[in-house]
Amino acid sequence: MSTLEETPDAEDVRALESVIGDRILARDDHENAPGFVVNPDEVQSVLSDLKEEAGYDHLSCVTAQQYEDRYESIYHLKKYDDASDEVSVVVPTTREDPVSESADPVFRTADWHEREAYDLVGIEYADHPDLRRILLPETWQGHPLSDDYDQNKPQIVTLAEHENPLQDDHHDAESDTMFLNVGPHHPATHGVLHVKTVLDGETIADIEPDIGYLHRCEEQMCQQGTYRHQIMPYPDRWDYVSAGLLNEWAYARAIEDLADIEVPEYAQVIRTMGAELCRIASHMLALGTFALDVYGEFTAIFMYTFRDREIVQDILEELTGQRMMFNYFRVGGVAWDLPEPREEFIEQARDFLDELPAKVAEYNDMVTSNEIFQARCIDTGVLEPEVAKDYGVTGPVARGSGVDYDLRRDDPYGHYENVEWDVVTRDGCDNYARVLTRMEEVEESAKIIEQCLDLLEDWPEDERTVQANVPRTLKPDADAEIYRAVEAAKGELGIYIRSDGTDKPGRFKIRSPCFSNLQALPEMTEGEYIPDLIASLGSLDIVLGEVDR
Amino acid sequence: MTGTTIPLQNDTVLLPELVDDLLGLSEFGVAGEFLAAFIAAFIVGNLMLAMTGVAGPWAKRKITATFTDRIAVNHLGPGGILIIVADAVRLLSKENIIPENADRPAYDLAPIVVAGSALLGFAVIPMGSGVHLADPEVGLVYVFAVAGIASIGLVMAGYASGNKYSLLGGLRAVAQNVAYEIPLVVTGMSVVLFAGSLQMSEIVAVQNETTLFTIPGLEWAIPAWFALVNPFAFVLFLIANFAEVGRNPFDMPEAPAELVAGYQTEYSSVYFVLIYLGEFLHIFLGGAIIATIFLGGPAGPVLPEIVWFIIKIWAVFFLTQWLRSAVPRVRIDQLIEIGWKGLLVLSFANLFLTAAIVGVIA
Repeated sequence: MSTLEETPDAEDVRALESVIGDRILARDDHENAPGFVVNPDEVQSVLSDLKEEAGYDHLSCVTAQQYEDRYESIYHLKKYDDASDEVSVVVPTTREDPVSESADPVFRTADWHEREAYDLVGIEYADHPDLRRILLPETWQGHPLSDDYDQNKPQIVTLAEHENPLQDDHHDAESDTMFLNVGPHHPATHGVLHVKTVLDGETIADIEPDIGYLHRCEEQMCQQGTYRHQIMPYPDRWDYVSAGLLNEWAYARAIEDLADIEVPEYAQVIRTMGAELCRIASHMLALGTFALDVYGEFTAIFMYTFRDREIVQDILEELTGQRMMFNYFRVGGVAWDLPEPREEFIEQARDFLDELPAKVAEYNDMVTSNEIFQARCIDTGVLEPEVAKDYGVTGPVARGSGVDYDLRRDDPYGHYENVEWDVVTRDGCDNYARVLTRMEEVEESAKIIEQCLDLLEDWPEDERTVQANVPRTLKPDADAEIYRAVEAAKGELGIYIRSDGTDKPGRFKIRSPCFSNLQALPEMTEGEYIPDLIASLGSLDIVLGEVDR
Repeated sequence: MTGTTIPLQNDTVLLPELVDDLLGLSEFGVAGEFLAAFIAAFIVGNLMLAMTGVAGPWAKRKITATFTDRIAVNHLGPGGILIIVADAVRLLSKENIIPENADRPAYDLAPIVVAGSALLGFAVIPMGSGVHLADPEVGLVYVFAVAGIASIGLVMAGYASGNKYSLLGGLRAVAQNVAYEIPLVVTGMSVVLFAGSLQMSEIVAVQNETTLFTIPGLEWAIPAWFALVNPFAFVLFLIANFAEVGRNPFDMPEAPAELVAGYQTEYSSVYFVLIYLGEFLHIFLGGAIIATIFLGGPAGPVLPEIVWFIIKIWAVFFLTQWLRSAVPRVRIDQLIEIGWKGLLVLSFANLFLTAAIVGVIA
């Protein structure tokens, strides 16, 4: 399963070289993609050529890091048509003057990614429309992921200095708009999200999501843990609403490819089954909370989806021993085999799958075929496919906009290549399409689980290896770099790891699908009504733990 | 049931007069009459508040729980019924937080206006078994008028809280009430055309005196309740009523999830209880109006009239809770559109048709 063989062949690389031409300063290949070092003031031209001429239309992630002698921004580019076709653009800047050209004019998604890079690492981006801190408060001193940051120095901000983001009264006698803080404490923000909203009557004139309330330094915590044991518990806490195994797989995939670990096929099948169970649980929650947003707080749908999600949770609990923070994957496999008695577990899972179609039909009866629901959701929160691509939107949100992009198929891992299923896409581009996409994906996941169960049931007893032999201490080669993504419940969850030769990562970067998806919210809601904003937020299905990390 | 069950209007003894007679207050002249009226009003008011007390903390939870596959309160007393006591203590012992920017006394008056206006409405409702406070000739107009006062309370609450969510909720409440009160009243008028009177007791009497048809073989005379005579008007009135009391699919003014809690966001403790009471009283008043003008008032077989009346208004309450669990809320612009472009037109069509039919028959 090693993906090292997937490194593009020389011909493709030469084609790329001809696109970028003499703007290439050097090569800095990563494990997953060829990397080209370019000048900080040629970022826009290089990226735009790669986008327009070579078709790399998906800026998956921007990683920033500091070396002893320089800062570095890495733009991880992919194609929406072919996710396995990747290229990295590496932009070094000096330590003294860390200014690099912003990619924002080429890819809108770079806006937030570069703000995060500025916030945490300290690289400045010229030509950036709005270079402010994004995760930390405006008053924060220093950049926590830079070398010269003193973690022991207390952040003392006097009350007078402390900017209360809610304090401004935004009173403007000239305008006839009203400023409204939606959140950070609001029943429909799905966590602590603050949306600065400017209203013209009940119409939304302008919104700006303000994130970071749930920032828990996940990247830094991962950088302080050992590859072998200490990182795996963290992914459960990113997208914490039952998508744990999907997140764990993101890290597992990255480190397994980096350290060249072969995962036993049996473990891959268990992983695939567990991950799809998580996806079902996550999508059920998404449907239930979306119904809350559209119906009001007393809706039956929410409890119905929770009732059915509970069955999935029980199965996952049997498998992993935990309900939420599974910590079930291991580097090179999974923690243990299916629970004994095996037949009982398989039957439990089968029972759930047997009942699922009736339940989905019930949801369709109650939710999607309801005329008022349709009136609320069709043609609201419209996200055109081109806009979605520009914002790096992935997952069911992108597929609801007709962007046919699913890493399980396009950049296969685990056992997905060997099972029969379809990628669900819808052309509605609206809230309704996103809901339907999720509901259909539940059915597709059920197909995958069914096939995995068949395989597991008949797997010869003496070939049930759940873990590969992995050394007690993992030390990937110094300066090996990799960016690997999996299809999590919300979209492309990517992990970038740079090894510094020790048993802990030199840089650990998380590409969160919710982070990119949330960025598209203003595009979806401006000019619509407040209820549409709430519905759009619900249909994006964000988890703030993953947005803020 | 027979078509001869004719309540009240034959023996036009109203509750105050009854109290008067029982206690022998008439010898005290006007003061005695006033006292009798006060005692009667006390009885009716408490009946309604008791029903709200059962509905708010307990029945609503149980009903919603049944729809949403849960159990709800079950620890205190049989079926958790004593949660009513616990909730009362809890809510009343909480600190009454009044926001700095609140515009007093409007802020303090709003809960009283909301709860009070609904209570006033019950004055003219014939509840059967002699429970009927007053029977003015303009009863129906009166009940619409006092029920409409609640909108002022909502606006006061929304505006005086000094909170933008409250303000939006208050504005929505006005827009909604203006849009839906007209169809409500116009549909109510079609009933008046049938009954030929605005007097509540007369409306009830007309419904029960006339026999719509008799089920052959069983000798059951089905009375000409207006819900059966004109189901179209009944449905229109029900819909407009849901908007009027602000319940799904029209729970715009509160819209939890959108406007936090709308006009009541900033209210706590006793004020919150009052607003909450007011909301439930409004649902019951809506139910009482529907029961009176469409469902034959308190008439019904076997059981005492007052029991039938309570069953009828609880049926309407049950329906609101059902909708709340099952129907999405419409958007504010859709709500206004349904009101002005749909219900208003339909209610006028209904009125003209009724007028024509009544004219032909007459």
